[in-house]
Amino acid sequence: MTWFERKRTREMALVACFLLPSLLIFFLYRILPLGWNVWLSFHAWSPLKPAKWIGLENYEEMVLDDDVFWDALSNTLIFIGCAPLAIAAALAISLLVNSDLKGAAIYRTIVFLSYPLMTVAVGIIWRWLYDERGGFINYVLRSAGIVDQPVKFLQSFDLALPSVILADFWQILGFYMIILLTGLQSIPQHLYEAARVDGVPAHARFLRITLPLLRPSIFLCIVVGILNSFTSFDLIYVMTNGGPGHATELLITYIYKAGFGQTRFDYAAALTVVQFLLLIVLTVFANRLSGGNAGSLER
Amino acid sequence: MSWRVLHHRFVVVPLALVALVAAWNLYIAFNDHGILEGQVRDRAGAPVAGATVIFFERNAIYFQEKVRTTTDAKGDFRFTGLQHHVGQLEAVTDDGRRSDRRQVRLWFRAQDTEVAPLIVERRS
Amino acid sequence: MRPPSAWPRHVIMIVVSILMLIPFYWVLKTSLTGENIYAYPPRLIPADPHLFNYVDVWYLIPFPRYLLNSVIVSAMAIAGSLLFNVAAGYALTKDFPARRWIVLLLLSCMLIPFQATIIPAYLITSWLGVLDSWLGIALPLLSTIICIFIFKASFEAVPRSLIDAARVDGLSEWRIVVRILLPLSKSAIATNVILTFIWSWNAFLWPLIVTRTPEMQTLPLGLARFLSVMEDTTGALYAFVVLVLIPGLAIFLMAQKEFIRGLTSGATKG
Repeated sequence: MTWFERKRTREMALVACFLLPSLLIFFLYRILPLGWNVWLSFHAWSPLKPAKWIGLENYEEMVLDDDVFWDALSNTLIFIGCAPLAIAAALAISLLVNSDLKGAAIYRTIVFLSYPLMTVAVGIIWRWLYDERGGFINYVLRSAGIVDQPVKFLQSFDLALPSVILADFWQILGFYMIILLTGLQSIPQHLYEAARVDGVPAHARFLRITLPLLRPSIFLCIVVGILNSFTSFDLIYVMTNGGPGHATELLITYIYKAGFGQTRFDYAAALTVVQFLLLIVLTVFANRLSGGNAGSLER
Repeated sequence: MSWRVLHHRFVVVPLALVALVAAWNLYIAFNDHGILEGQVRDRAGAPVAGATVIFFERNAIYFQEKVRTTTDAKGDFRFTGLQHHVGQLEAVTDDGRRSDRRQVRLWFRAQDTEVAPLIVERRS
Repeated sequence: MRPPSAWPRHVIMIVVSILMLIPFYWVLKTSLTGENIYAYPPRLIPADPHLFNYVDVWYLIPFPRYLLNSVIVSAMAIAGSLLFNVAAGYALTKDFPARRWIVLLLLSCMLIPFQATIIPAYLITSWLGVLDSWLGIALPLLSTIICIFIFKASFEAVPRSLIDAARVDGLSEWRIVVRILLPLSKSAIATNVILTFIWSWNAFLWPLIVTRTPEMQTLPLGLARFLSVMEDTTGALYAFVVLVLIPGLAIFLMAQKEFIRGLTSGATKG
């Protein structure tokens, strides 16, 4: 071998060495689990017994026999469907703090302060806010005379899911705001100047310049919103644990209960596959809505 | 590495926190003999000698008596070796007067502390 | 044209700020109050405030143990992730045949959310024998794709001449990384540390799955566990919540810029 080839091989070995630990972690905890889930969903398996191929039986049970699955699925879709509201609110706030408003940095910090908290703590905080006796929300409602009796938010079939969604809203608003702010700040100012000189009114400036150029950020917010329904496990576990009879059951909580409560790993794997497919489908759909190509613009 | 690195908030803040924790633990180390001192007085403010002072400790549901001591000629009493951070105090005299049961709350276990005087009076 | 008046915007933002801060205040007030927290109507200012709820919480629950577990897991995650992410980021700056495929592979791994992997991840951790241990909790966080790309971008921004000069001087590859690249990538390091800290500190579902005994529980688990135990009429549970939130908040406030930069750069790279 020439010196160059020896050096090259050494370099290859080094690259492999450096990449190995990370790739191992990703293999063990991302790729392998995904494949294993798919494999497991087509088998019947309980620990200590060998797996048996059963084809689509898990999926049949899920779709035909399992009401909880359909509850969880619809709740997850509702959860995700409320994300645009939060994104719109975050957009409004970003527009307000983006300008050279004095003290904008303080407002940004205050709005973002809820995001780095433990979601478990957020759940406990909001559980207390919704409490019938000591809670702030009932206090305000009763003092303002809107209701006479305290409202049992987290025990009512209709109000439990919106209550949880509101708690999640409080936490995720800051994150959306940061993403949108970053997007807003990358819009070149001269576009606005030119539009103003041309006499374009403010709302048209917003619709024609700001919104289209924010598409990548909005797409990102939508993806975050979809993933948020997965990470809300903590919130639901602490606030309602599935709610008054599955009213706040999400796919992720149902997967946890099926896998670690009932120890039906095979069924939980099938549920996970469905959840993953939902993620992919919704992401592609959001991609289409934001104009394709992950909403990115020609640079 | 220059000394400038010490000015950075990532260094100053953790160091300050460590210093705070060390100082607090030092304070605890010097003051954790479990000494509880006080006096028993009557309504008029005169010290009461020979009164029994009872210290109650908390178990899960209620407070139960842990140790008792008597006041000396000057009406002072002193417990040593207490191990708790919360408890109750009550003073009783032989002739039937008693004080309110007072809650004692400390900052750490076995903290040395001095309480305000316990006032004994006749209760019907 | 006159710039629009700032007053309406300030008013709106102040209202928004108050709404966002109310939950914090409500829990803080509950943790300080000396009376029955279920009394109606709840007071807006705590009556008879005292800090002894915090003392009670410190002794009543194994707070030091939970804190220790959380700190060790976070420290392991941060140390390990720095090591592995820096190494992987540096390896990706080099040109080698399979590079495009590896990058594509990593990008597609980002699409797999953690929640889609919990069941097999539990089985793998069990097979590795690290269930119910600090390493088991920290293991999935030892490398994250966002941080690898942040390091890669940061290393690529270093002028080649510096690296070539170092190589001519005979430094080994790892020395090059440590001596030259890392000191110039301080913001990437800070971002990695902050992001890994927040993810490992706040993690709930994964430690819930991996820990089997109460001694190995981390702070979020301790919080959830005592939720039912501590529903008494004092503000002790909320003192616990405040105690748990303080480290996270303090670190966030100290390192805001790095945290936000990490989130947005990771997000835009995705």
